[in-house]
Amino acid sequence: MKRGLAFILAVFLLIGMLAGCSGEQKADAGKKTQDGKVVVDFWTFWGSETRRPIIEKIIEDYNNSQDKVFVKHTFLPWGDIWTKNLASVAAGNPADVIINDINTVSQRAENKQVEELSKYIDDSFKQQFYPHLWDTVEYEGKAYAVPFNTDTRLLFYNKKAFKEAGLDPEKPPATWAELEEYAKKLDVKNGKQYDRVGFYPLWGSVGASSWMTNADSGKGFIDNGELAINTPKKVEALEWILGWKERLGENTVQAFQAEFGSEQANPFIAEKVAMWVDVGTFYTQLRDYGQDLEFGVAPLPEYEEGAGNWAEGGGFVAEIPKGAKNPEEAMDFIKYLTGPEAQKYWAVKNYDNVANIEAAEATIEELKGPDKMVYEATVKNLEQTKMFPVPVEYPDYHSRINPQIDNALLGKTTPEKALEKAENDVEKMKKK
Amino acid sequence: MKSSESTLAHREAGTNIIPERKSTNAAVKKKGLSRKAKDNLAGYLFISPWIIGFLGLTLGPLLFSLAASFTDYNITSKMNFIGLENYKRMFTMDDLFRTSLYNTIYYVIFSVPLTTAGAILLAVLLNQKVKGMKFFRTIYYLPAILSGVAVYFLWMQLLSPSTGLVNTMLGWFGIEGPAWLFDPEWTKPALLLMKMWSVGGGMLLYLASLQGVSSQMYEAADIEGATAWQKFYHITLPMISPIIFFDVITSTIGSFQIFQEAYVMTENGSGGPGNSLLFYNLHMWNNAFEVFDMGYASAMAWLLFIIVMILTVLNMKLGKRWVHYEGGDGK
Repeated sequence: MKRGLAFILAVFLLIGMLAGCSGEQKADAGKKTQDGKVVVDFWTFWGSETRRPIIEKIIEDYNNSQDKVFVKHTFLPWGDIWTKNLASVAAGNPADVIINDINTVSQRAENKQVEELSKYIDDSFKQQFYPHLWDTVEYEGKAYAVPFNTDTRLLFYNKKAFKEAGLDPEKPPATWAELEEYAKKLDVKNGKQYDRVGFYPLWGSVGASSWMTNADSGKGFIDNGELAINTPKKVEALEWILGWKERLGENTVQAFQAEFGSEQANPFIAEKVAMWVDVGTFYTQLRDYGQDLEFGVAPLPEYEEGAGNWAEGGGFVAEIPKGAKNPEEAMDFIKYLTGPEAQKYWAVKNYDNVANIEAAEATIEELKGPDKMVYEATVKNLEQTKMFPVPVEYPDYHSRINPQIDNALLGKTTPEKALEKAENDVEKMKKK
Repeated sequence: MKSSESTLAHREAGTNIIPERKSTNAAVKKKGLSRKAKDNLAGYLFISPWIIGFLGLTLGPLLFSLAASFTDYNITSKMNFIGLENYKRMFTMDDLFRTSLYNTIYYVIFSVPLTTAGAILLAVLLNQKVKGMKFFRTIYYLPAILSGVAVYFLWMQLLSPSTGLVNTMLGWFGIEGPAWLFDPEWTKPALLLMKMWSVGGGMLLYLASLQGVSSQMYEAADIEGATAWQKFYHITLPMISPIIFFDVITSTIGSFQIFQEAYVMTENGSGGPGNSLLFYNLHMWNNAFEVFDMGYASAMAWLLFIIVMILTVLNMKLGKRWVHYEGGDGK
C-alpha cells in the first residue's frame, strides 16, 4: 500500500516536471525566428475572407520594411479572444499586441491588464488621431492603447421613395419632427398591412440609447462621472420611440423584423424600409447588392434645431497586454499599424473609418463617386460622434439600464419609472 | 441501499471506479509486493488519470475559488482579503442577483417535475407491446442525441413570433401565439417547452427500469382485478422509484446550472428581454468574465453550491419515504 502511494507520487512528480519543462521551453524559445528576429505575436479577431487578407498584407508590409522584428498574426474567434487574453495575462504569457474594444480601455488599465504606453508616445504622435478617440485610450492622464478604427451612424434614405412620396430627395429630414413627418408620408399601406415602412427608430445599427443621447445634446448615461440616466430629455426620447411602436403596431414591427436579413434581404436594400440608420460600412452592402437603389446619406436628425446631430460610435484599439515579453518591438509595430500608410490601406480596402486623421483624409481623396460621397459623410460625421467609454466606477452599467429600457418598450412600465429605476440601480452598483 | 446509492453517486460524477475486488487467494506471501499490494497498485494505476484530473483540474480550482470568494480577486491585479463582503453584497447591493436567483428557481420548479413526469409518461407509452415500437422509441430518443447549441438555434427559429413553426401551428387553431423569446413573460415557458422536447434521455432510463419490473406482479394484480391506474400507481411507480429518485436529484442539480440556453438564445448573452433569462450562472459568468469580478463570482458559485447541497440532502431525507428498493429493508 505504501509503495503504491510512493509510486503514484513518483508518477505525479514526473508528470509535473514534464509539464514544467515543456512550458518553460515554449516561453523562451520560439520568441525568435531562425534568422534572429524578435517575434511579436499579434492577436486579432479578423479571420473573415475580406478582413484577413487585408490585415495580413499590412503585417507583411511591416515585416518586409525592417529586419529586427517578425510579426506573427494569430487569429482568434470573436467570442474567445478576450477571455483567452485575460487568461494569458493572468498566466504571465500574453500576446505582444492585441486588438481590443475601444470603450473599455480604462477598465483594463485599472485592472492592470494592459501596459502603459506613455514612454513611447509624444504629443505629435497623439495628434495623429481624432481627439474623441484618443480620449478613450487615456486613463488618469496616461495612454494605455492606440485607437485603430471606429464607426459612426448615418441616416441612409431611399431617394426614389422620397420622389414617390412627393418629398425633395435632396432634402433629408433634419429634425425629429421632420423625420416623423417624412416617415408617415413614406409609409405604404395595403389595407391594414404595411408594404413599406417609412422609418422605425430601432431598426438598423441603432438602439434606444443612441436616440436618448441624441436628444440629450450628446450626453451619455454617465457624463463626466455623473449619472445622467433619468433626465427629462432621455425620458422624452424613450416616449418618442414608444410612440413609433404604437403608431405602427407591435405586429407590424415584429413581422418586419422577422424578415430582416443582410445583403439582398436587408430591408432597406429590398426597399421595405425607406429610411435606415447604419454605420458607414453598410454602404458596401448597398454597393454590392443594391445596384438599383438610389440613396442618399445624412447625419442623424437632431432632436430640435440646434441640438446637434449626435451619433454614437464604437471601435477598436491596439494595445500591449500586461506582461508582454517584447513591449518595445510591439509598440514599433503598433505605430506602423496606426500610422497613415497602414491605416489608409485598411480604410480603402475595408471601407472602414480609421482613427488616423491623415489616413482618413487621404482615403477621401482616393475614393471616387458614391464611394467618396458616403465615406466623406462618415468622416465628417465623426465631429458629431460621441464615444461612451465605460467608467471604472460603473463596470457593466448597461446591464442595469438595458432591462429597464426593455421593460419600458414592452409597456411593462412607463419610461419615467423605468429610467428612475435604472438610475437607482446603477447608483447602487458604484464601486468605491 | 448502500451499494446502489454509491453507484448512483459515481454515475452522477461521471467517473469509473473499479469495484473493489475481494482477494480470494488471501495473503500468499512472496518476495517483494504481496498479491494484495500488487492489486492495489494496479488499481491505483488504473484510476490515476482520474485522480490526477480530479486533484489538478477539480479540487485545486475548487479550493482556489473558495479562497477567492473571500477576496476582491480580479484575475490580474488584486487579491485582497475582504471577509464576507462578497456574500453581503449579494444580498444587499446586487439587484440582479435576486433577479437571477428568482429566474433560476422558477426554472427549476417547473422544469424538474415537468421533465420527470414527461419522461415517465413517454417511457410508459413506449413500453407497450405495439407493432413498430422500436421505430417510435428511436424517434422520441432522437432529440436527446442532438447537441446543445445547434438545438438552441433550431428552437430560436421555431419560436420566432411571426414566422416560426410553433406560432404558425397555433395559428391553424386560431390561437395567436405569444412572442416567446421576445416577451419577458414567455421566455421561461419557451425554454421549458424546448426542454420538454428532449426528455428522451430520461425516458431511456425509465424504459430500461420498466422492463425490469417483473410481469408476475402485474399478473397477480390482474387476478385481484386491479385497474390500469392501480397497477401503475401501486406497482410501476414504486418499482421504478429508485430511478425517479436519481433523475430528480440529477435534474435538480442540472437545472440549477442552466447557462448555455440563456447565453446562446439571448442577444449578446445579456439575459434576454427585461432580464427574464438572466439565470444564476449567467449572472455569475458576466461578473467573472465581463467585469472581471472573479472574487464575487466565486462567492456566487459557493452560495449556489450551498443551495444545491441543502436541496440534495433534503431530497435524500425525503427519498426514504417514497423510494422503494427491492430486496432492501428501506434503510
